[in-house]
Amino acid sequence: MLELDHVTVRFGGLTAVQDVSLRMGSDQVVGLVGPNGAGKTTLFNVISGLVRPASGSRVLFDGRDITRLPLHRRARLGLGRSFQIPQPMHELTVRENLIVAQRFGAGRVDPQKIDRILELMELGEQAERDAANGLALQELKRLEVAKALATEPKLLLLDEVLAGLETLAKRAFMAKLRELHETLGLGILIIEHDIETISSLCHRVAVLDFGQLIADGTPGEVFSNPDVIRSYTGAESAETQHA
Amino acid sequence: MRRSAYLFLAVCYVVVPLAFGGNNYLMGLVVSSLIVAGVAVAWALLGNLGGMVSFGHAAFFGVGAYASALLSMKLGVPVLLAIPLAGLIAVLFSVAMLPALRLSGPYFALAILAYAQIFRILATEMEFLTHGSGGISQIPVLPTIAGFDLSSRTGQFLLLLTLLAAFLATYDLIRRSHYGIALRAMHDSEDATRVVGVNSVLLKSWMLFVSAFMTGVIGAVNAHVINFLEPDYAFSGGWSVLPIVAAIFGGYRTVTGPAIGAVVIYLVDQLVFKALVSTGHQIILGSVLALMILFAPDGLLPLLRNALRRMRGGSHA
Ligand SMILES: Nc1ncnc2c1ncn2[C@@H]1O[C@H](COP(=O)(O)OP(=O)(O)O)[C@@H](O)[C@H]1O
Ligand SMILES: [Mg+2]
Repeated sequence: MLELDHVTVRFGGLTAVQDVSLRMGSDQVVGLVGPNGAGKTTLFNVISGLVRPASGSRVLFDGRDITRLPLHRRARLGLGRSFQIPQPMHELTVRENLIVAQRFGAGRVDPQKIDRILELMELGEQAERDAANGLALQELKRLEVAKALATEPKLLLLDEVLAGLETLAKRAFMAKLRELHETLGLGILIIEHDIETISSLCHRVAVLDFGQLIADGTPGEVFSNPDVIRSYTGAESAETQHA
Repeated sequence: MRRSAYLFLAVCYVVVPLAFGGNNYLMGLVVSSLIVAGVAVAWALLGNLGGMVSFGHAAFFGVGAYASALLSMKLGVPVLLAIPLAGLIAVLFSVAMLPALRLSGPYFALAILAYAQIFRILATEMEFLTHGSGGISQIPVLPTIAGFDLSSRTGQFLLLLTLLAAFLATYDLIRRSHYGIALRAMHDSEDATRVVGVNSVLLKSWMLFVSAFMTGVIGAVNAHVINFLEPDYAFSGGWSVLPIVAAIFGGYRTVTGPAIGAVVIYLVDQLVFKALVSTGHQIILGSVLALMILFAPDGLLPLLRNALRRMRGGSHA
């Protein structure tokens, strides 16, 4: 169970996240949406420990205050994440990336399980390649998820892993995420722009706009909320420009 | 480390004493070259696995030397026990370096450089313990074990070669382990490595400790080989620089390169360059190093390997 309690993040004069409070069970699939620059990735960075929030902010995981816990300890508690801009461990092969994640994140060595993750993320053929050189962008994104899975998380934070996929590929990936959720009881917090995807995948959606939480509810409720529609149309056009 | 490296070490055990054992001068040079080799391996381990470039290994070398000398002389600790204890004391002192681990590249290098200077000054000022700049003489020699005199040139050689082999095996073992893979991962992607559960600070600290231990042990052995210490010698910048030169020359990314580089550089410098130019022969060494960095930045060992491969007409595999 993840709980954000009045989380604020400032970068100098910029307030990237403002007083966000949010709870989710480790048995839920929750979507995090909002226009570019809304603070979604920053929120992930706070949860995983890469960014320190302003004083007064609190992050709890399974009832434990992890606000000041170092990155690696959070990973061991069961928080796995992917990076929006893939960050493979350079100088290692794809398989070695997973070995490190498993050995240090899950505290075990289980080559068969690594093979299963490679297969699930369709990286079997790329297993012995250099993570830094031999992979295409979509393969790097799958490696992001594979690394997180290798740490055997209770809660998976996915940052735009579905972006840029064609419809069919996207559906297939979503089916895998659903399966992980159902078979492993894995909680998922996913950043994603596409409304259809979110609606079909998530029990709940939280919307960030300019660092503030402007809506939180079922996809049906949230996407009919006028505030969300207003901010969201902006996001769609922003993403089109981006692409 | 390749099997050929172990084989080479095994051959050295037998061949070197047989070939040069009668020549005390030559054996003395070989012993000195192994001292440099030991520090070079320790330095390369920290640089290669820990990702930290140190300009201050003289600090660990000097601390190890003084610790072993004082333990054996003031407390009567047997020399062969004092040597590993001196390694541990060097580790203890390296704890003071831990805050510097947070510093990146050049700042870490500078911090550890300053650290070595502080120790030289301390060793000079703490006269009650170290006899200051007057130095300590009559440091006990290496003992005789089961009738074998370790204080002879051949004995010193065998002891140092054994230590070197142990260091290389340890380095290789760490590098191949999961810790080694995680350390390699940290070089370019520290956040990505930490976020999957790797305690990067702890792993780097361990590499500092292992490196400090090895360097302290070598400093200690050297103290019992030359039987005399003074601060300017024990903490000399040479103990920081020579291993770097050796590692770069031999190939700092390989396990055995720094050791081979140390032996080659030291012997060539002493036997050839010194004969050519008696004063300032280091200039030739410097020039050779500059050429190496320009034309074979990966060092001698990879250079030789590639040449060998080409001669055999083999492919890149
Ligand atoms: N490390 C940082 N330093 C300064 N500003 C940052 C940093 N990270 C993010 N920001 C700023 O914070 C805001 C939110 O960014 P981000 O969380 O990446 O948004 P999103 O993921 O929702 O697109 C942006 O204005 C961004 O420029
Ligand atoms: Mg983002």
